[in-house]
Amino acid sequence: MIALEHLVKQYGTFTAVDDVNLEVAPGEIHGFLGPNGAGKTTTLRMIAGLLKPTSGRIIVNRHDLAAEPEAAKASLGFIPDRPFIYEKLTAGEFLRFHAGLFGIDGNGVGTRVREMLELFELGRWEHELVEAFSHGMKQRLVMGAAFLHRPQAVVVDEPMVGLDPRGARLIKDVFRRMSQRGVAILMSTHTLEVAQEMCDRISIILKGRIIACGTVQELRDLAGGGDAHLTEVFLKLTGGSGLQEVDEFV
Amino acid sequence: MTRDFTYLLLPHVWSARNRLRRREPGDLTRAAIFGGIGLVVFVALFEGAAWLTTQLSSYAELGDYLLRIGLSWLFLTFLSFLTFSGVVTALSTFFLADDLRLLLAAPIATRRLFHARLLRTVGQASWMVVIFLAPVLMGVGWARCTSPWFYAAAMVFTVGPFAVIPVAAGTAVTLLLVNTFPARRARDLLMLMGLLFAASLVVLLRFIRPEQLLRVESLPDLTGFFATLQSPIAPLLPSFWAGETLFSALRGERDLVHAAALWTTALASVVLLRAAGERWYFSGYSRSQEASKARFNRLRLLDAAVHALPMSPVRRQLLIKDVKIFLRDVAQWSQLLLLLALVLVYLYNFRVLDLERIPYMSVFVKNAYAFVNLGMAGFVMATVAVRFVFPAVSAEGEAFWIVRTAPISLQDFLWSKFWTGLIPVFVLTEGLTVVANQFLGVDPFLKVLAAVAIAFMSVALVGLALGLGARYPRFGADASQAAGSYGGVAFMIQAVLYVIVMIALLGWPSSAYLLRQVRHQPVSLAQQVLMTLCFSGAVALSLTIWMASMRSGVRALERMSE
Repeated sequence: MIALEHLVKQYGTFTAVDDVNLEVAPGEIHGFLGPNGAGKTTTLRMIAGLLKPTSGRIIVNRHDLAAEPEAAKASLGFIPDRPFIYEKLTAGEFLRFHAGLFGIDGNGVGTRVREMLELFELGRWEHELVEAFSHGMKQRLVMGAAFLHRPQAVVVDEPMVGLDPRGARLIKDVFRRMSQRGVAILMSTHTLEVAQEMCDRISIILKGRIIACGTVQELRDLAGGGDAHLTEVFLKLTGGSGLQEVDEFV
Repeated sequence: MTRDFTYLLLPHVWSARNRLRRREPGDLTRAAIFGGIGLVVFVALFEGAAWLTTQLSSYAELGDYLLRIGLSWLFLTFLSFLTFSGVVTALSTFFLADDLRLLLAAPIATRRLFHARLLRTVGQASWMVVIFLAPVLMGVGWARCTSPWFYAAAMVFTVGPFAVIPVAAGTAVTLLLVNTFPARRARDLLMLMGLLFAASLVVLLRFIRPEQLLRVESLPDLTGFFATLQSPIAPLLPSFWAGETLFSALRGERDLVHAAALWTTALASVVLLRAAGERWYFSGYSRSQEASKARFNRLRLLDAAVHALPMSPVRRQLLIKDVKIFLRDVAQWSQLLLLLALVLVYLYNFRVLDLERIPYMSVFVKNAYAFVNLGMAGFVMATVAVRFVFPAVSAEGEAFWIVRTAPISLQDFLWSKFWTGLIPVFVLTEGLTVVANQFLGVDPFLKVLAAVAIAFMSVALVGLALGLGARYPRFGADASQAAGSYGGVAFMIQAVLYVIVMIALLGWPSSAYLLRQVRHQPVSLAQQVLMTLCFSGAVALSLTIWMASMRSGVRALERMSE
């Protein structure tokens, strides 16, 4: 479970995240949508413990992130939009090191690492340096690391970027399977088809504030669009398409 | 979660191991070159320290006294260097390192992360000092025929805690500044620190006033000189404790008081810093993650000035882009400031060099100094070129595709880089040479010769740096990493050889000419021919290096698309 209570993040006088309240229940896939610069990544980085909120609370699986950061992080998997991987480590070494960071030790580590590599179709690359990997392979490796310690909640920023159709389908299957097992997933994405297809509920953030939250149908109703595609709903809620200007410039 | 903090250093160990296992082409050559240079420097330092110590030993108590002060001075110099290095390294290791995004999202106690980062900071900030100190202290010990106890004291009991104290202090300064300054300026701290360090360096040198040693009439004030020499050596500084501990070890004694002072202070600084880190580290890290604000974001004057230059739009835009990126990169700025400070100190030395006090030799010494000065300017030029011109192609980084897909010839691209690099290098070194020769009062002939030589050396070295930079680019590396790469080292070796050859080609005919002039003898025809050959050879060598390097650079860039 992930819960955000009155979360605020200010950079000087600029408020990037403004009084955000959100709850992702166990087993729920929650879409987090918004235009560029709306505050999505800032929010996700605060949940991951990379940024300190100006005010508000973050609860991850009943652990307050400010009071019990280690316990909260231990039950969380984080997949950033621009992940860091040690380029001179092999895929296997990177996952083993990651396992150690999360306190996974002993004989089971090797088996778990190989499971993750097989799951994300990187088995034959176990002993290859990460620097030789394509963007999609790195993305899958980071996902393997995020799921390695069997987290109860997952925060993922733009999971489909750089993935081929096969990789994208694999990730969707993994997310679905994880949610069926009770994992709470908060997913930021610009691929609205993915959000529409996968998410139980969606929150739309604009200028740091959540302006809409609900199922796809609830958002359609809110936008007054009947059975419109999520793209239309998103554009209506976040303020115009801007398409009228295209002809003038092209 | 309960693992030792050293676990967090494992990726670096594994990465180093993998690098060794999977050698890339040129790695062995690079290792051989670096190893060879390192060995030469090691032997030179060892021999130099041993020779100096032997000389001092012949002055009995005075020699001992000077050795004692010398050790304290050595450590005092490193104390300021390590503090500055600690500030800069801590900013990188504690706040800006990419792997922090991975580590901070993991359930690691702040204390573990702190210990791992501090160890890395101490290592990164002090390895150069340790490598320099090792042959020096071994040389001193060898000259004094001391027991192995000296080496143990030197490397483990003294240098270890001595390095921890200033680096911990530097880290504390960084922690304070990152939490105090507006977060968007976190990286700009480097520039501030660069200025402070440069200022402290100049002040430090002013303390000694070494020119006093040349003044015969100041000999009665020799005690005053020693007092000056001793004045910055405060007994409360770790450099004094380290110097005293080592000096005692040299005499076969054990100075446990100063050794204890070193160790307890080192431990106390770690404990205090850890407490501060637990309280303020995460807030500082969080602040440092904010996007840095564009510095010099207008630069209208630059735009206007460049638009007034007679050049093609392509070259104009490349120039504007290069200058703006340079001005906004604080790391580049701070290094240039440091270099300028060193140049100022260098010029100051010429200003205070009172050669008139050696009446019979002054003309000879002055003119000999003119060539020393030319050589020094050449080495400054090579250093600036390897740091700022050599990485110019690599600096395009992942944005190089823009140039390669744009309708720009790679020749235009490289030549644009050449002119951008040439002007500052030429102005800096020409200014340095002209001013230094003016201070020295060298013969007008040599002044003109040096000024012209610098012009040719500038085009040759900038061309060589760019050509090699294009042949051995490191698109993924930052400027300093590119400068330290195989191509950078190859450039430095070739540049130093070129400077030596140039000085030989210019030195012989100039000295022959001046000698004839002093003796009021005419220059023979044979000598005139030889002189012309030497000067022409210098010009031809410079132009050949320039053009050949640029052509080979352009060819290398063109081959990238094959």
